[in-house]
Amino acid sequence: MTRPRPVRVAALAAGLVVAVLVGVLATRDAGQDRFTTHLVGQPAPPMVGTTIDGDGYDLDGQRGRWVLVNFFSTTCVPCIREHPEMVAFAKAHADADDVRLVSVAFDDSADAVEAFFRENGGGWPVLAADTGTVAVDWGVIAVPESYLVAPSGHVAAKVIGGVVHDDLERLLAEARGS
Amino acid sequence: MNPRLVHWLALALVVVAALVVAETAERPALTNADRVQRLAEDFACPVCAGQSVAESDVPVARTIRAELARMVDAGATDDEVRTSLVARFGEDIDYTPRGSGIAGLVWVLPVVVGVVAVAALAVAVGRWQGDRRAGTGRWSRPVVLTGVVVVAVLAGVLVAQLSGSRGGGDTATGDIRSSTRTLLIEAGTAPPAEAVALYTEVLAIAPSNVEALAYRGWASWRLGDADAARPDLDAAVALDPRYPDVRVFRASQRNADGDLAGAAEDLTALDGLEAAPIVGDLLAASRLRERVAAGLASQGDLLAALELVDSGLAADPAAVSLLAERGWMLALTRETQLVALGVEALDEALAVDPDHPYALGYRALVRYGLLADEDGARADAAAFAQVPDAPPGLAELLVADGLLVDASG
Repeated sequence: MTRPRPVRVAALAAGLVVAVLVGVLATRDAGQDRFTTHLVGQPAPPMVGTTIDGDGYDLDGQRGRWVLVNFFSTTCVPCIREHPEMVAFAKAHADADDVRLVSVAFDDSADAVEAFFRENGGGWPVLAADTGTVAVDWGVIAVPESYLVAPSGHVAAKVIGGVVHDDLERLLAEARGS
Repeated sequence: MNPRLVHWLALALVVVAALVVAETAERPALTNADRVQRLAEDFACPVCAGQSVAESDVPVARTIRAELARMVDAGATDDEVRTSLVARFGEDIDYTPRGSGIAGLVWVLPVVVGVVAVAALAVAVGRWQGDRRAGTGRWSRPVVLTGVVVVAVLAGVLVAQLSGSRGGGDTATGDIRSSTRTLLIEAGTAPPAEAVALYTEVLAIAPSNVEALAYRGWASWRLGDADAARPDLDAAVALDPRYPDVRVFRASQRNADGDLAGAAEDLTALDGLEAAPIVGDLLAASRLRERVAAGLASQGDLLAALELVDSGLAADPAAVSLLAERGWMLALTRETQLVALGVEALDEALAVDPDHPYALGYRALVRYGLLADEDGARADAAAFAQVPDAPPGLAELLVADGLLVDASG
């Protein structure tokens, strides 16, 4: 007695497809950072605003210098922890004036940001008001995040998490190709 | 062709077409707010597990919602919004699956399943025709037919749903891992038991993540699981001796374990690090350094106790609590010169903060017991009594010396 073969063939084919599919998906690496930035190597998004000192700021005006763009919040512990490192980095480059910094507050109040800088130091421009568009333009997911912008205006590197002075120097040296 | 079969096929066509049109036809948004809401539902919150931008209230979701509203108000089309967000956050933010790569299977698989089901149905019908001619299988046909259709529809729906909820880099085993960053953020606000599980997930992805090791150790410690906490804290210090948080955690653990020298070592190491102000605040609030120093002094190791306190004072010369502790420890030696130095430290502390309860209480005890200055002692004790939340242990000592009246009766 013989059973019709098309059913068996169809069942086998379907089973094979499912098995291959499961095999392919199961052996792929799990995505560790599913939301990735595409900014590195690209022109830096616009960053225009008013600093907590009331001055106007435009990242485009910094062309010709390296710029460290730091997104932070006064309520985030890693941001608080990284601040002295930023101060040290700024101090190390103050005389040469070869690197400038700009901080952008993320989901924070201007008053809290002003108090934070008054208490913890840091004389660089800080944008605190209406920074949502800037944060989305830069694809900021969670602070702290920092970007090194080259003199050409292109994003040279991105740092996720708190920065460390020595690592920033190393990153800058690598970006400069030295 | 059999006219009855034609009728059935026509009916099936109408039903399928009606379902497809009903499912795919989009109702126009009435207002910009409606459009913003609908768009927010179409995008994944970048730091959440399975929540859309519309559902989540984390800062980045709030920021994206505000930006969506701004773009919609400015006249951007849905496609422009989609393109803009995908360009900034990557394709995984878009809940609408891509048409290429693994994610493209979400479009292909339902079609494949449908074709296979129709083919199987055709084969089955052919067999039944044969059965009818042979006069068998009359009662089983409707049941089998219904079963095939139900299975085909369910399979299509399930494949579409499951595929659509996975990103291109996800596995098919159910082990969908979030990024370490996301997990650390979640763990930071989770209760200790849940935090331990989240930190363990981070360590499965990045075994040398110092933050995860340190905080898992601390969460375990808070849960009372000392055996799990100690190796984590030790491993975190070994990986990064300059990570301030773990020094505080391990100092606390060592102090509780009675390893005062070890606790002092961690706290002294902490003073050489550039810790965030919040670490200093936590340390001050817990009086960990003072407790460790007092413990060392009571064990007879006054030198180590003073070194620990002085190390903290070098980092923060105006730390009133440390000045007070230093003064008290020196006074307890009962050696004239050291007592004088102790009183000097207590005076200094009270010059900085005249209402500091420990400085007031210690000086009252020293004045009364060692300097025979009862008036001064009573004045300090009276000031001590006015301080809100004065430390009860110190109050008991003052009561024992008759400098305070026992308020409890």
